[in-house]
Amino acid sequence: MSEPEPARPSGGDYAPSPAARLALFQRAGGIVTPLLTAIVAFLIGGLAVLFTGHNPFKVYKAIFLGTGLQWLIPGVGDRELQASNLQQTLLIVTPLILTGLAVAFAFRCGMFNIGGNGQYIVGSMSAAWFGTHFAGLSGVPHVLLAMLAAAIAGAVWAGIAGFLKATVGAHEVITTIMLNWIAYWIGSWAYGLGGPLQDPKQASVPISEDVAPSSFLHVFWGDPLLQGLHIGFFVALGALVAFWIVLNRTTLGYEVRAVGYNPEAARYGGISVARNYFLAMAISGLFAGLAGALDVLGWEHRLNVNDIQGFTVGFVGIAVALLGRNTAVGTFFAALLFGALVSGTSGRHLDASIFRPDLAGNLTSIIQGLVVLFVGADLLIVYLWSIRRRLGFGGRGAEAEATGT
Amino acid sequence: MADDVVLDLRRITKRFPGIVANDTIDFDLRRGEVHALLGENGAGKSTLMNVLYGLYSPDEGEIRLKGAPVRFHSPKDAIEAGIGMVHQHFMLIPVMTVAENVVLGSEPTQGVLLDESKAEATVHELARGFHFNVDPRAKIENITVGQQQRVEIMKALYRKADILILDEPTAVLTPQEATELFEILRTLRREGISIIFISHKLNEVLEIADRISVLRRGKMIDTVSAQGATEEQLAKLMVGRDVLLRVEKAPSNPADALLQVEGLEVDDDRGLPAVRGISFEVRAGEILGIAGVDGNGQSELIDALAGLRHPRDGRVLIGGRDCTATSARRHLDLGLGHIPEDRQRRGLVLEFTLAENIELHDYDKEPVARLGWLRPGVMIERARRLLKEFDVRGGRPTSRAGELSGGNQQKVVLAREIDRDPRVLIAAQPTRGLDVGAIEFVHRRLVEERDEGRAVLLVSLELDEILSLADRILVIYEGRIVGEYGPGATPEELGAAMIGGGRERAA
Amino acid sequence: MTVQAARANLREAIFEARSVGLAGILLGVAACWIALPPVATRSVALPILFAFAGAACGAWAVRAGERRVGWGAVAAALLGLVGGVLATQAGEHNLEAVFVWSALLAATLRWATPLTFAAIGGLFSERSGVVNIGLEGMMLMGAFWGIWAADKLGNWILGLVAAAVAGGLLALVHAVFSIHLRADQIVSGTAVNFLALGITGYAFIDIYGDAGTPSGISEIPDIRLGYSDNTPLIGGIAHLNLMIWLSILLVVASFVFLFRTAWGLRLRSVGEHPRAADTVGINVYVVRYAAVILSGMLAALGGAYLSMGQVHSFNQNMTVGRGFIALAALIFGKWRPFGAFGAALLFGFSTALAFQLSNVQAWESSSILFRTIPYVVTLVAVAGVIGRSIPPAAVGRPYKKQ
Repeated sequence: MSEPEPARPSGGDYAPSPAARLALFQRAGGIVTPLLTAIVAFLIGGLAVLFTGHNPFKVYKAIFLGTGLQWLIPGVGDRELQASNLQQTLLIVTPLILTGLAVAFAFRCGMFNIGGNGQYIVGSMSAAWFGTHFAGLSGVPHVLLAMLAAAIAGAVWAGIAGFLKATVGAHEVITTIMLNWIAYWIGSWAYGLGGPLQDPKQASVPISEDVAPSSFLHVFWGDPLLQGLHIGFFVALGALVAFWIVLNRTTLGYEVRAVGYNPEAARYGGISVARNYFLAMAISGLFAGLAGALDVLGWEHRLNVNDIQGFTVGFVGIAVALLGRNTAVGTFFAALLFGALVSGTSGRHLDASIFRPDLAGNLTSIIQGLVVLFVGADLLIVYLWSIRRRLGFGGRGAEAEATGT
Repeated sequence: MADDVVLDLRRITKRFPGIVANDTIDFDLRRGEVHALLGENGAGKSTLMNVLYGLYSPDEGEIRLKGAPVRFHSPKDAIEAGIGMVHQHFMLIPVMTVAENVVLGSEPTQGVLLDESKAEATVHELARGFHFNVDPRAKIENITVGQQQRVEIMKALYRKADILILDEPTAVLTPQEATELFEILRTLRREGISIIFISHKLNEVLEIADRISVLRRGKMIDTVSAQGATEEQLAKLMVGRDVLLRVEKAPSNPADALLQVEGLEVDDDRGLPAVRGISFEVRAGEILGIAGVDGNGQSELIDALAGLRHPRDGRVLIGGRDCTATSARRHLDLGLGHIPEDRQRRGLVLEFTLAENIELHDYDKEPVARLGWLRPGVMIERARRLLKEFDVRGGRPTSRAGELSGGNQQKVVLAREIDRDPRVLIAAQPTRGLDVGAIEFVHRRLVEERDEGRAVLLVSLELDEILSLADRILVIYEGRIVGEYGPGATPEELGAAMIGGGRERAA
Repeated sequence: MTVQAARANLREAIFEARSVGLAGILLGVAACWIALPPVATRSVALPILFAFAGAACGAWAVRAGERRVGWGAVAAALLGLVGGVLATQAGEHNLEAVFVWSALLAATLRWATPLTFAAIGGLFSERSGVVNIGLEGMMLMGAFWGIWAADKLGNWILGLVAAAVAGGLLALVHAVFSIHLRADQIVSGTAVNFLALGITGYAFIDIYGDAGTPSGISEIPDIRLGYSDNTPLIGGIAHLNLMIWLSILLVVASFVFLFRTAWGLRLRSVGEHPRAADTVGINVYVVRYAAVILSGMLAALGGAYLSMGQVHSFNQNMTVGRGFIALAALIFGKWRPFGAFGAALLFGFSTALAFQLSNVQAWESSSILFRTIPYVVTLVAVAGVIGRSIPPAAVGRPYKKQ
């Protein structure tokens, strides 16, 4: 049997694209694998907790109580507190959906956008600036302006990496991480003591000016003064729909997907691979930047250097996208899961006597890492895929095995 | 030639999911003989040899070496038992030298350090002994294909192999290099080395082999002595029926030139000239075949014609319009159709549905899309029509392209290119890896396209295919056209030209 | 003229052009350097002259065919011109404050050392064909577990051992998923980074709580060379940590191993063409496992130097992206030991310079902004080089043995 000649990669082809393989996972796993992955990750996390002398059941229960998800079950416990907790959870889910979409969109084009954090930071900073100035504008235009600015800022920030990839083939993993740190320090400098964007009225606090009320996103559930849930949540949901539409119903989405699966065939088809690398990264950054806007305009209303240095939403977005298999629906549920996890482990919600919140925060990182780790694993998926015929789901013959990646 | 059997494979069976690659095969090798293993693509020859070499483990059967049963768990075992293999796709590391490649895995050392000079000296000696003319210090990427093959042989000889397996060795050689190879094989045979020669080329097998075993669809059909065997007899054994070696076609009626190439110069990936000044034209209603050994500039030429690579100099005109150094998109818009040589890497996005693949060039044009908005219903309709017209089996418009067999995938590519009604159709290796039925289909379609007034450019490494289909034949050698022939050309003429012996000698 | 002779002539010609191009780069650097202490010329003419000469050499080299070196010389000349002119305009006092060469040299080596360890570790992994994005995480593991062991066991040597073990174990996870389970190597590497962040943070808080690591933990010793560190220039190396010297040894050792031993040849073959290596009996899996685990151990040692040799404490996420800078150094150095070391020195220098620049009083409020310099330099380096850097041919592709 003469095999096709083994391909020798060209100089710039450093580490092949994961898009096609992740697509295999999508088909092979359906919903079972993400579920399994999450369960196994939590299990191992629980083992780590056990191993360090705490009770995993109590810890997980305490985390769950903090999420407020039990509000969805009527008639149990303190409804007010649960409602408040759930609002908090959804507040965290909102930007996570967007950063998850950011990573997912780039992945669909075969690129790994680890720069969500940096794009989020520049998005927040832009929204903060536009929110503070232009106070004369009335509500809706002001909000839209700030959101637009943030989206553009995020798009530009990611676009730098996209441009470098498109022109000189620079690997986006390294460039986006560098851009993350650059954004981190620019933000720290800008709002730091004596920095150009520091609030002149609070000279001893490294904080930005307050955002004008006309740019606040309206809170529709809960108390605006106690961080209730704002309409940004619907913006995030809208983004999910937009993501799906762009990818599956537009020519741009067709190009992005083709480049992600097979850049050579895409070129042969007449598609400009470089242009799509740039556009996909820019759109990816757009989502992440918008996430920053929603947080600033929705509940933060100002930026603190500590906040800037503590943002992790861009990184959690990676786990969200991968668990959600880079699809709109998957991202939504994965964002819910991780949002609940982050919320439940936060200092406000977690009962510190059971488990320290900063320990819990690190536990979240571990679980994140495990999820991302398992998503990449071929054998588990292939194993499930191969036994599905035994389980009676049918399937094609040797060619399917041979020609699948 | 002694009669003792050095190698005996009994009842070897190897299965892969859904297919039995080797079905109770018996095969034996005598000392000092050249035993050819003949069969079509996919007959199971390579699988059998991979089993012998320890790369696969057999599901049933046994291997006996010099009478004693052996079990090979890896190539290391086979190597230690004295079996050497020269693969079809060379197992050589391009950035390393000849000496490094030969000694890899059994390196001479001086204490902790690698003894480079000893390695080079040993390889030099080996090469000299067999008149191999290879510089041990040259990097593999800088030597010719024929020389690379000799390095592969040296790898086996360095490890004291007395059984040598050669897998389709002449696939990448010019006819002259093939003759040199046969001389080497005869020398080796005289030294007592036994050789298994895998091929699908009847004439070569008759020239070099002592005995010939024919495989078909995983089964051993027969073993005959080469003396007295004929090509027709072997072909029938290989295919199982009388083989029609030529396609029936009416004579061509060429009209205007639809593809014109003038003084084209194209560089390869490393910046070295691959196409050095080629001019030709393809007219409507004719099939122009370009014959040549792999690696003489065909790929770069096709890339330039398709707009996937910018030429350094020269012009390309499609339908009279200059499209040199423009984008692939522009070439497509001017009426170019391109059946690429690697359908899985270039021709199809395996993860896309058949409908999406069919739109690979036209996804942003009416009626499939309007103002950037896709209409899947339209895509599926078009796909349905084409799949029916081209008799594509194994999938519906919404099936993934990766689920189809090779032949059906190629039909999808064909359907897409032909339905766009191109003026010029470039077919690069259109039947690579296909079974006989699919090959016949593709050949028939190409002739139909030619009869409907398209200009067809056929670039193929298979001389038979070119002789069968082309109205005019050009031979490419080292990036230049070295000969032009009519349909009555003989394989010998073409073969000679393919090594530069044509009318225009390479300067 | 025979082919051999023609090739030899050509080689001479290229060699010449190459030397000219390299000279051009040196001239460009010199254009900036002469405006700095100790020469500190105040006239703008000299930098302009040197820069011009450098650019001329570069142009000549480009025309003679040595494009990369030639354009590099032109770029160096431009940068040198800008830097040199700026320096001549800057206040002498400020220049003196920033460009203390002995301090800069020492700082460069200090900052470069973790990068060197991690980059050489990455070198082994990638040369065997496995992308290792997880260097950051492995470094972090070494940073924490090293200082933890030094604290609990009272001995810095045991600390280093523990660090190497921790890094090796994390690398083992990456190896299993990338090699055996054939996961996407970049995704696997990223996962490993998250894990390391979580594990070290969790362990740090659980064990040390709010107090942090105690003071007085056994430190990796410095090596004193007997003369004062105020001696101009060479004062910089008078008093360096042991690990810094070890890093240089490591670079040399890795070069010898990779390019002068049989095992190095085999490792490289696995990274270039694993199937070819397989067919001559080399066990691709074993080689790759060994290489990845070694990379984890080396990166961890780099991290251990950070915590045990430099700041003498641990903070969460203290590696702040250095593992990625090390990876960039590896790529910038074209997967060669001395190249990676050179790149690490370059990035180390940029960090050192960033800190020295905050000595200038006028710029004190912007000193935070200078912290971006190493990342910007890395970004520019990666952008300028990576498209043309040829990695080991099989890197990033999982190997499937049939």
